[in-house]
Amino acid sequence: MTPPPGSLLTAENLYKAYGPTNALDGAGFSIHPGEVVAIMGPSGSGKSTLLHCLAGIVTPDSGTITYDGRVLSSMSDTERSALRRSEFGFVFQFGQLVPELTCVENVALPLRLNGTPRKEAERTALSWMQRLEVDDLRGKRPGEVSGGQGQRVAIARALVTGPRVVFADEPTGALDSLNGERVMELLTEAARSTNAAVVLVTHEARVAAYSDREIVVRDGKSRDMERAV
Amino acid sequence: MNVRQWARDLRMGARFAFTGGREGWIRVLLTAVGVGLGVALLLLTTAVPSVLSARDQRSDARADYPDRYGHEQPAKADDTLLIAKLDTTYHDQDIRGRLVQPDGPRATLAPGLTKYPAAGDMVVSPALKELLESGEGKLLRERIPYRVVGTIGESGLVGSRELAYYAGADDLDQHRDNWQVARLDGFGGTEQMSERMDPVLILLVVVVLVALLMPVAVFIAAAVRFGGERRDRRLAALRLVGSDSRMTHRIAAGEALAGALLGLVFGTVFFLIGRQAVGSVEIQGISVFPGDLNPTPVLAACVALAVPAAAVLVTLFALRGVVIEPLGVVRTAKPARRRLWWRLLLPLVGLAMLYPMFGQGRDNGDFNKLLVIGGVLLLLAGVTALLPWFVEAVVGRLGGGGVAWQLAVRRLQLSSGSAARSVNGIAVAVAGAIALQMFFAGIESDYTSQTRYDLDRAQMSVTIPAGTPLAPVTEKFAAVKGVRKVTALGVGSAGDKSWRTGEGPDNMAQIAIGDCAALRDVAALPSCHDGDVFALDVSWNDEDTKALAKPGRTLHLGDSEVSGKALDVKWTVPQGLRHARAVKDANGMERGGFLMTPSALPAQAVRAISGEFYLSLDESVPDVKERVRNAALAADPFANMTVWTSSEESTKFVAVRKGLLVGATCVLLLIGASLLVSQLEQLRERKKLLSALVAFGTRRRTLSLSVLWQTAVPVALGLLLASVVGLTLGMVLLKMSRTPLSVHWSSVLSMAGIGAGVVLLVTLLSLPPLLRLMRPDGLRTE
Repeated sequence: MTPPPGSLLTAENLYKAYGPTNALDGAGFSIHPGEVVAIMGPSGSGKSTLLHCLAGIVTPDSGTITYDGRVLSSMSDTERSALRRSEFGFVFQFGQLVPELTCVENVALPLRLNGTPRKEAERTALSWMQRLEVDDLRGKRPGEVSGGQGQRVAIARALVTGPRVVFADEPTGALDSLNGERVMELLTEAARSTNAAVVLVTHEARVAAYSDREIVVRDGKSRDMERAV
Repeated sequence: MNVRQWARDLRMGARFAFTGGREGWIRVLLTAVGVGLGVALLLLTTAVPSVLSARDQRSDARADYPDRYGHEQPAKADDTLLIAKLDTTYHDQDIRGRLVQPDGPRATLAPGLTKYPAAGDMVVSPALKELLESGEGKLLRERIPYRVVGTIGESGLVGSRELAYYAGADDLDQHRDNWQVARLDGFGGTEQMSERMDPVLILLVVVVLVALLMPVAVFIAAAVRFGGERRDRRLAALRLVGSDSRMTHRIAAGEALAGALLGLVFGTVFFLIGRQAVGSVEIQGISVFPGDLNPTPVLAACVALAVPAAAVLVTLFALRGVVIEPLGVVRTAKPARRRLWWRLLLPLVGLAMLYPMFGQGRDNGDFNKLLVIGGVLLLLAGVTALLPWFVEAVVGRLGGGGVAWQLAVRRLQLSSGSAARSVNGIAVAVAGAIALQMFFAGIESDYTSQTRYDLDRAQMSVTIPAGTPLAPVTEKFAAVKGVRKVTALGVGSAGDKSWRTGEGPDNMAQIAIGDCAALRDVAALPSCHDGDVFALDVSWNDEDTKALAKPGRTLHLGDSEVSGKALDVKWTVPQGLRHARAVKDANGMERGGFLMTPSALPAQAVRAISGEFYLSLDESVPDVKERVRNAALAADPFANMTVWTSSEESTKFVAVRKGLLVGATCVLLLIGASLLVSQLEQLRERKKLLSALVAFGTRRRTLSLSVLWQTAVPVALGLLLASVVGLTLGMVLLKMSRTPLSVHWSSVLSMAGIGAGVVLLVTLLSLPPLLRLMRPDGLRTE
């Protein structure tokens, strides 16, 4: 099966099992540049596993994932790490900021991992923090900021390298509704401003509402809400 | 606050420890394993008195010849036994050997034996049996060729790995005059010489004990804090439902108490397992029987009480700076700055306690043990108190570097306390070891004497009792591969009266018989031919030789070792007697008396002449010394061999040093294991974060390096501080024993190197789990 025309990231017939549990059972996916796609489904349905496979974090047992014409499963771990460093960004439920680094150092971390000199990396990081309205937290450590502030710092960190795809796994799961909405606004706005695609895993309809398209995952199988896959 | 409230909170905490699901269990298990290791080592220490006493008792019970020397020996009877001491050495291991010949069927039985072996048979210790049956024991089998017919029981051995045998003989009567043969009517029960131990050695033993036990205590204190960060977050939930800050602390202490109590159980199990395994282990030539390892009840009770109490106190102390708020957030970002003054106070008070004993030396050296223990404890405790401040002060000033360095430094800046805590144990051990090594090196010369042997001329000497012809023995030695030169001398005595009279001669002189080449090793001979006799001119006053060296005078040749029954051969000092100047022989001695070439000795006197052989060896030939021993014992079972060394150490000094090495090995193993456990614990706590870092493309190498830096920086600082405190304590000890001060940098470097090596090993061992934790699977929540 050929990927839909113009798609940036596609997955076909993904299978992944953890022991006796089939986390993915023939799931598929596609996303275009600048598009926001929400992956929805109940707890344990396999949506996070699908995200991890799409991001090259986990290798599926079978199936094909193609990113920008390249087959992810044929890439080595080092190549996939380099891809994640330069082309992908990540936001997790609890931010997963490095507790010992200050907020600006956290945001600058992906750039530094790519070899950008420290000062330049922190300058770029600060500009992203300004866009996400958290530049006043630059010297604080994650333990000193609120959950919503931490998630905004995490979004800045996800976008700082100018990724083409941002993977967000329950980015508002630990926030109240007001903070959650603000975080989603900032994430989608910032992604659209850079034409980055966003793969959003959530089980909340109000969060999914920020997406252009929804895919529902149930028992490891995916179903596109607009067109059947 | 009252006792009931305390008990209720502690109980609640203990319950939480076991009801926290998998996470909680893992934390309790890690704590218990850590505490258990420490408890096992403490129990081992409390068993040392029983081990020593059991070893002494068995050693006394089997005492035979050497302790009875000088005592009047019983007459031959139904219950007596002829015994000969044939101790030997094989590959630097001592072997206790006895030849036995019962005088009658009721002959007194040696401990550990059910009956005596027949001539040509032997009963051996289990370790010797193993050695003889192994490939390594090939040469030993030649030396002890008897047939193995049984094993010596536990009551006949000092340690489980002792090498010993009793071989049956039927010709000991013929060697009755030999000093190695004695007649017994019972074993043991001899009067022990109660010798007061040198105060400096007592000081050393006290310091060794403190220096070895202190790191164990420090480690236990660290182990009860395993998993503290995660627990603190959990405790926030308790605040939310209404527990106040102090209640929360007590509940946390209850959790630690549960871990410590489980640790006591684990420690006992570890100890019992180790106790069974100990029988097959030998460290530094010391082995013990499992049955001897019985903890002293009072000391064991102290351990059982002190460990849980320490768990509670340490947790309360650790939590005093942690703010647990009801909203589930523990704001630990900016802890209060550590103060230096009270940390400095500990080592200063320690020094003050030791100061009064400066210069006491060993003359009046009644060192106040309590002051010594207190002073050394406080000095070493100073390391644990100063290290967190020192690490914080230094890492606070660090910056720059790559991502790995930045991650490590920032982590250390945020939680320098836990980093310092994990290094504390090793720092204390290294400080103690440096001090002790310095002390050992300083006083070594007092307990080591230089031997007089000339190692350039010979490396081994063999003596053969009188009666064995020397020429065949010399040939045997010369045939051994690796023997370069054999110098053989017959040795006897010449006296002015018969050796058979009760008192023996009034004047006596040594005679040495050898060919001209051998005689030239002991004297500067003008010329030499077979048949020549020389009287030796010596640098010391040898009146006896002067009196005897008169041509025409009749002298009595015999053996000064065995009077009474000795041979007595008359010999007339020849008219052609010449004088020669004695020179130092390979033994480092200047001989007096007469030198004779072989044909000058009356044929009948040969039986009164014992043999001395000096052997120059090519030590690169494998087992050359063992082959020489075999050749010597084949020539005469009563041959005595000495391997020459340039110095000899006092046996008690060596024993204390061995004790330190055995203890230090155990402590380093414990600390290594504990570091590994604490490292794994820290990694486990960061599993999710590590996975997230890998998810967004962090290289594994970067994370591994960051872990290495996180360990290496505090370790380097810990070792630096340990070196300073160790050197200070070393100097204090030297001052106390009035020994000239000198810094032994090699001790400092080797101890610091061993400490660093342990840390490096632990880091290497923790890399595989680190790599596993870095798998993206860590991000999974279901």
